[in-house]
Amino acid sequence: MISRPGNDHFGPLLRGDIDVIAAWISRWSAGHTARQVFVIIFGAGAFGAAMGSWRAPEQAVWSAIKLPFVFVATAAGNALLNAMLAPLLGINLTIRESFAAVLMSFALAAVILGAFSPIMVFLVWNLPVSEPGVPVAAAARSVMLLTLIAVIAFAGVTANVRLLHLLRRLGGGVSAARRLLFAWLAVNLLLGTQVSWIARPFIGRVDVPVTFLEAHPLEGNFFEETGRTAAELWRHFFP
Amino acid sequence: MNENDPNSPPPIPATGVIPPNSPEPEAFRYPGGHHMGDMEADFSPGVATPREALPLGTAPDDRELIHGVAGVVEALLRCPRRVMFHLRGETRGRVTGWLLLAAVGLIAAYGVIVGSFSGGDQWWAAPLKITVGMVAAAAICLPSLYVFASLSGSRAQLGDLAGVLCGLIALIGILLIGFAPVAWLFSQSTNSLVVMGCLHLAFWGVAVRFGLRFLSEAVTHFDVRSGSGLWTWGIIFILVSLQMTTALRPLIGTAPTLLPTEKKFFTAHWSDSFNAPRR
Repeated sequence: MISRPGNDHFGPLLRGDIDVIAAWISRWSAGHTARQVFVIIFGAGAFGAAMGSWRAPEQAVWSAIKLPFVFVATAAGNALLNAMLAPLLGINLTIRESFAAVLMSFALAAVILGAFSPIMVFLVWNLPVSEPGVPVAAAARSVMLLTLIAVIAFAGVTANVRLLHLLRRLGGGVSAARRLLFAWLAVNLLLGTQVSWIARPFIGRVDVPVTFLEAHPLEGNFFEETGRTAAELWRHFFP
Repeated sequence: MNENDPNSPPPIPATGVIPPNSPEPEAFRYPGGHHMGDMEADFSPGVATPREALPLGTAPDDRELIHGVAGVVEALLRCPRRVMFHLRGETRGRVTGWLLLAAVGLIAAYGVIVGSFSGGDQWWAAPLKITVGMVAAAAICLPSLYVFASLSGSRAQLGDLAGVLCGLIALIGILLIGFAPVAWLFSQSTNSLVVMGCLHLAFWGVAVRFGLRFLSEAVTHFDVRSGSGLWTWGIIFILVSLQMTTALRPLIGTAPTLLPTEKKFFTAHWSDSFNAPRR
């Protein structure tokens, strides 16, 4: 097997080369943090631009800024809580180590999202043009929203499976790793979805002008909107 | 098995590849300086390793040089392992370029056959759109191929997979050219868009099946642990390619504009085509 030396940052993350990743975590530095944040900005930014491009080029720019922000804000906002949960659930990690592990799983998700962004652009290109009052445009928006949720879910699940392997390697056994992963997932889901809700719109609506943030960003929550969108799509296809 | 016995097959690593520019490893030489190919007839059927399972670079003709577009086409058909072997190391860029050239030329040639059904502007529009669409579909799916291959354990880099992907579309082009006489004959003897569409899709489907097999075998040599990710990617590639045929329509028939003014999914387009009045 040819192994090429070089700056292959994505390969070990995607393959789940636990030894390599554990070595990164053991000598984690500001440079490592900067590199992972750069990966998140690039990957999640590309995906954000792809989904925002359905509404307008301006929306693509806003979404390319906001999606990486959601990732980094969630990792940073839960850093203290994640570090507290680790020893409580049986894995003795420092704040630095737990932050590094979570940030790397987010970076992995961002790489996957970035890889799917050309396909998302192609999907957007094939969706009906967003025009107010056109029913098919509303259905297209629902297709778009559910597709991106599916892609984000795939990226998230994959990243967390890799994180589980990493936690097992860092010590504490299988059950402790599962408990900690579940706890991290719960708190990251809670904060991440609400941050993304506040930072909306990412796709935009045809009947609302393009804007960086909504007029009342703190109204409602992510779960209500997902349910409403699914119901809208159901009514469209099964009236 | 006595390892000092000159008739015993050499020890062979389970996976991997020997670099193209490296000398043949001593481990794969027979005593007396014979090459594996020289002794191939001595392999006992009971212990012979299947050719596909051999690491690249160890089969007798893996290392033969490939020259030009004609060489790469011949190698894809007769010895795809040779292409896989040369898609690494120093020869990667050159072989990738030849594969891309072959793909563009062959798919464009098949596009002329597709365009011959309607004639007129389709003589040039169909080959152009089919070629651009096929290359664009491959380019759109390249990053996700890297992700799925890596998630399956592959150590391939993006450049490696770009070469393999060029091999896939080149093989599709080769097989389509093989079907071209049949396609031309039907295009001259029917007026039905639906029949011609189904025929072209069937030919394309067969070509994609062989192309994906090439891709799967090529990526396997990069230490892939599981094939499920690659099959998932294959489905994505097929969907993107099919949608491309709708996004760039008309490919077979004619329309007032070169590109469609209405966005549609390919299933809706096919449904409309089936329900349209027969030409």
